[in-house]
Amino acid sequence: MDEQWIQSVGIDVGTSTTKMIVSRLRLGRMSSTFSLPRYQIVERQLLYASEVHSTPLIGFDEIDADGIGAILAAEYDKAQISLSQIKSGAVIITGETASKKNAQHIVHLLAERSGDFVVATAGADLEGVLAGKGAGAEKRSQAMQGVIVNVDIGGGTANAAYFQRGRAIATVTFHVGGRLIRLSPQGVVQYVSPNIQQWLTAKGLRIPVGQEIGFAQLTEVAEQLGRSMLDYLTGKERQVSGLLVVGPHLRDAIPVDELTVSGGVGLLMSGPPVRNIADASRYGDFGPLLGYVLQQEREKGTYPVQWLDPDQTVRATVIGAGMQSTEISGSTVHIKPELLPIKNIPILKLELTEEQLADATRLRQEVASIYQLGERLFEKTTGIPFALAISGIGYCSYALLQTLSQELSEQYRATFPESQTMVVICETDMAKALGQALALRCKGAPEIICIDQVRVEYGDYIDLGEPISGTIIPVVVKTLAFDERP
Amino acid sequence: MNTKTTVLGQTYQFRDLKEVFAKANEDKSGDQLAGIAAADSRERVAAKQVLADLTLADIRNNPMVPAEEDEVSRVIEEGINEKIYNEIKNWSVAELREYILSHQAGDNELKRISRGLSSEMIAATAKLMSNLDLITAASKIKVVTHANTAIGQRGVLASRVQPNHPSDNVQGIKASLYEGLSYGIGDAVIGINPVIDTADSVKDILNMTKDVMTKFDIPTQNCVLAHVSTQMRAIRNGAPADLIFQSLAGSEKGNNAFGIDVALLDEADELMRKEGTSYGPNFWYFETGQGSELSAEAHHGMDQVTMEARCYGLARKYNPFIVNTVVGFIGPEYLYDSRQVIRAGLEDHYMGKMHGLPMGCDVCYTNHMKVDQNDMDNLGILLSSAGVNFVIGVAMADDVMLNYQSTSFHDIAAFREVMGLRPAPDFEKWLEKMGIMENGRLTAKAGDPTIFM
Amino acid sequence: MEQQLDFLVDKVVAELQKKLGEVSEQAPSPKTETGLIQLRSEPKAEPVANATAAPTPAPVVNEQPAPSKEPERTTHVPNPKYKEGLDELLSSTPARIGVWRTGVRPLTKTMLELRRDHAAAVDAVYGEVSQAVLDQFSLFTVETQYDNTENYLKRPDMGRILTEEGVRMLQERCQKKPQVQIVVSDGLSAAAVDANLKDVLPSLMDSLKSYGLTCGTPFFIKGGRVASMDHVGEILEPEVLVLLIGERPGLVTAHSMSAYMCYRPRKGMVESERTVISNIHRQGTSPVEAGAHIGTILSKMLEQKASGVKLVL
Repeated sequence: MDEQWIQSVGIDVGTSTTKMIVSRLRLGRMSSTFSLPRYQIVERQLLYASEVHSTPLIGFDEIDADGIGAILAAEYDKAQISLSQIKSGAVIITGETASKKNAQHIVHLLAERSGDFVVATAGADLEGVLAGKGAGAEKRSQAMQGVIVNVDIGGGTANAAYFQRGRAIATVTFHVGGRLIRLSPQGVVQYVSPNIQQWLTAKGLRIPVGQEIGFAQLTEVAEQLGRSMLDYLTGKERQVSGLLVVGPHLRDAIPVDELTVSGGVGLLMSGPPVRNIADASRYGDFGPLLGYVLQQEREKGTYPVQWLDPDQTVRATVIGAGMQSTEISGSTVHIKPELLPIKNIPILKLELTEEQLADATRLRQEVASIYQLGERLFEKTTGIPFALAISGIGYCSYALLQTLSQELSEQYRATFPESQTMVVICETDMAKALGQALALRCKGAPEIICIDQVRVEYGDYIDLGEPISGTIIPVVVKTLAFDERP
Repeated sequence: MNTKTTVLGQTYQFRDLKEVFAKANEDKSGDQLAGIAAADSRERVAAKQVLADLTLADIRNNPMVPAEEDEVSRVIEEGINEKIYNEIKNWSVAELREYILSHQAGDNELKRISRGLSSEMIAATAKLMSNLDLITAASKIKVVTHANTAIGQRGVLASRVQPNHPSDNVQGIKASLYEGLSYGIGDAVIGINPVIDTADSVKDILNMTKDVMTKFDIPTQNCVLAHVSTQMRAIRNGAPADLIFQSLAGSEKGNNAFGIDVALLDEADELMRKEGTSYGPNFWYFETGQGSELSAEAHHGMDQVTMEARCYGLARKYNPFIVNTVVGFIGPEYLYDSRQVIRAGLEDHYMGKMHGLPMGCDVCYTNHMKVDQNDMDNLGILLSSAGVNFVIGVAMADDVMLNYQSTSFHDIAAFREVMGLRPAPDFEKWLEKMGIMENGRLTAKAGDPTIFM
Repeated sequence: MEQQLDFLVDKVVAELQKKLGEVSEQAPSPKTETGLIQLRSEPKAEPVANATAAPTPAPVVNEQPAPSKEPERTTHVPNPKYKEGLDELLSSTPARIGVWRTGVRPLTKTMLELRRDHAAAVDAVYGEVSQAVLDQFSLFTVETQYDNTENYLKRPDMGRILTEEGVRMLQERCQKKPQVQIVVSDGLSAAAVDANLKDVLPSLMDSLKSYGLTCGTPFFIKGGRVASMDHVGEILEPEVLVLLIGERPGLVTAHSMSAYMCYRPRKGMVESERTVISNIHRQGTSPVEAGAHIGTILSKMLEQKASGVKLVL
């Protein structure tokens, strides 16, 4: 088999808009016939992109789950895709959306409506990275020497991801979005998100809820908001602007060479000029004005960065989710096809040092303490408590393989006796040998799934799809924690 | 046809033309392996003596691989210009050798006479030539070809940059490519031997090389040396290929072992005319090498020099942009030591040029041959003096994918500097524009691959 | 199914909530904090005892097997235009790049490294397999008609045929018609056998055990060529045969091994009837992984009663 297509879906339910895409990913053989088989995704084609729907709401802050279900059903129909054909993909639910009352219902519904192996996830870090990929920032970073940041500005939040030489190096999320301030056509402020209150105060800005706001005053707020975000992104100022940051801060300011803005607000940057309150409030919020003031900043060139047009604006996240979320594991693996797919398995990392690899006693201690950590972190289950990600093994000799499989299996069986399946992820190409060694020891209790050549970190969750052609495993790593720069 | 002679008091009667041809060869382990080599120096001289007196008509009238049995023989036979042949058919091989080496035979004369010669006749003259004869004759023939740019001019030594990678990692290929370009290497072709023979992988590499060429406006051509049918699939899928590549053997059976025949080459030729991305008129890149027919047991009992000449007879049909003899890749069972490799390199270059082909040479060896880098230095200089069109450039001569050693970027720069040779004219202008070369010498910037990042 | 879905949904939602930082009132064990939360917030927590003590792994070039500890590669380009870029180039390929020059010639150190690696390669061709390695796996030795190394190099045909003595030994000591026959040979690199056999062979044995396959009497052929497996096939008539043989040494490594596999080997087999896994060594295809995969291939050969191009993998 030289090539195979899998269909992948991306769904993005945002604070203001909802969209989906269907793509197909081509797996190609990336090894010669004289090597161990290895496959990679060699081509990603967009098959179908839905129109951008307004996210259906019930009242002010409750998402209409059934409305979303209806949208998806209609879109699947239009795309002429049946759920059984979908083998991979991701559903992104923007943070603010998912925190609404009926998040559970929505996630549930999406899981049902989005095919066999689609994961519902909502990490702002992952969103930022996927949007950066969809916007073309990752690709651009491979062709330049410095750092490019893409910021995807939607209704509630702005997800930024920094890329350097093809690698995402950091992410940060802001309370910056088009729907943080909502307006009537006459300019009456209907809503101001509490999330920006602290920042408004620090800036000495006031927005009168329930009253009419002047165009100049609103413009001032939009400008300040845009600048604060740009200050933080470019490292110009991080104290006040930091008040807008959701979750973890950047450890250090990262010098930025190029900038792209995607998301709905990114699209609005190329919209018509916003000259009065009627222009500003045409979508019932101050999004058009936010886009316009950012465009003004770009034209003024106040910030020492090169602004580039993104490949995608409003669909950057959904395209990233649908086309860029899936990886392929190494193709010599140890699996039981009937145990797949498995979803949402948290990662437990076993990072071994040379000393531990050289000394069986130290190795035993290390495995023991990691398993103890696993016991505390994750609930006991008859299924899979975690996926053990092993790294640090340079060269694995047969002797080391024996010691390692002995320690891993014996202690696993003692510590997690109720678990029926043990999942191991190796950094280097050794999954088949290690899986085989573990299975010879465990004899089915537990069953062994061992894959390799997938990079995962603490805090990641991983999904393994059904094997394609026997041993090719689609993998979605949901990066929730982000590696800071080394 | 006389096949009998006496040398130093001993009489030798050769069975047939094949035996004369084989035994007239300089010593080669491949002919020994085939069991057809001369037993000793005396028998070798006897065979040369018989060969010298045979006429060109003797050779043509006693086909060693009959045209009815072999399509390569048919291609060679059909290519002969009867008018020219008739003028010289009664010449002995000795007379032909002397004509080729005479002052009256210049570039034009040799190109003309070439059209009346079969590959076997050209091989016969090589067997009567010393190494310096081979150099002298070849140096008279100038073969200029053009795809995107022209190479082969007098005073030009072009080069293929060969940035192979053990797993076809596109970034890794690019890294070696940048290194090569920074030494002024790559005017003949940017050519990669892929590990993975799939249309996808070929297309990826062609796209990458084309992107680099476009980005830096490099006047050269790209090529991925997969099997011709894989390249054809990639090209039909839209891959940008300036040249199309195939290895050739000197017999139909040998070509079948390579998975090709004349019909397939014709089809590829047609495809390149329609979908090749270079200007032309020359689209092909062929590789050959003594011994490949025997290794496929497709040598028809013939010696490896003659079989090699027949590859050129086949190549000539397609007006290639470059032909490369990969002289030392095949191993010690065909060319045992540096003496045999150097001899073979000079023979192949001469025979190719006598066919009117744009000959280059992969001056190379494997680690189980009695050859080392010093021998490559020697052969490289000898071929440079013989006017070889191009040689192969590999980072520090060490090909990490094919596991053999060739000539390095440094070596080619040294051949040029020592022999007063230049890169192809368009490429040299580009090197000057990039600040890598000035007045034919590398500048202080040369050797820094990051100028392309 | 429904239950599973609920479980999944709960997890996602829990994760969402954590992510949004809206559940700060939760009071998990300190380890939980550290494991999931601290690692992604700033400043970076002190490494948890035992959990995160390992250094950050070096960037791995995904497309190729991660190299084991190799000597540090350094570049000699004095003033590169883009210094970090040079490291990136070096890490993307084992090719000898970034080496710089004196005039148009290489620097002395670079030149000597090349000569050193060539010396290792030549030694591998002319070396002999260590008896201790053969003893470890109780492999007895038979020879081909190669006679001596020079002749071995010039006459590959003689490396394909066992001596009469060798044939007799196989008939006396080996199990006939085994399901799987394992053969080891020096080929063009004795060093490859020394370096890799102890990892490839036991992993292969484990794999055979996992598939429930039985194995005949393994042995070593001195002076063997790939096609010596055909001669062995005639004598022992195994269902499938795997030959682990030293490859022609390169400069990157002189220790590379290949595994040639064949269904019902016999005289007159052509290359396309053999299945090959090559480049087995520390920096290439992992020996233990190769051993495990060879077992899979052999079991498929037995299933499909075919090898080489006819085998569907």
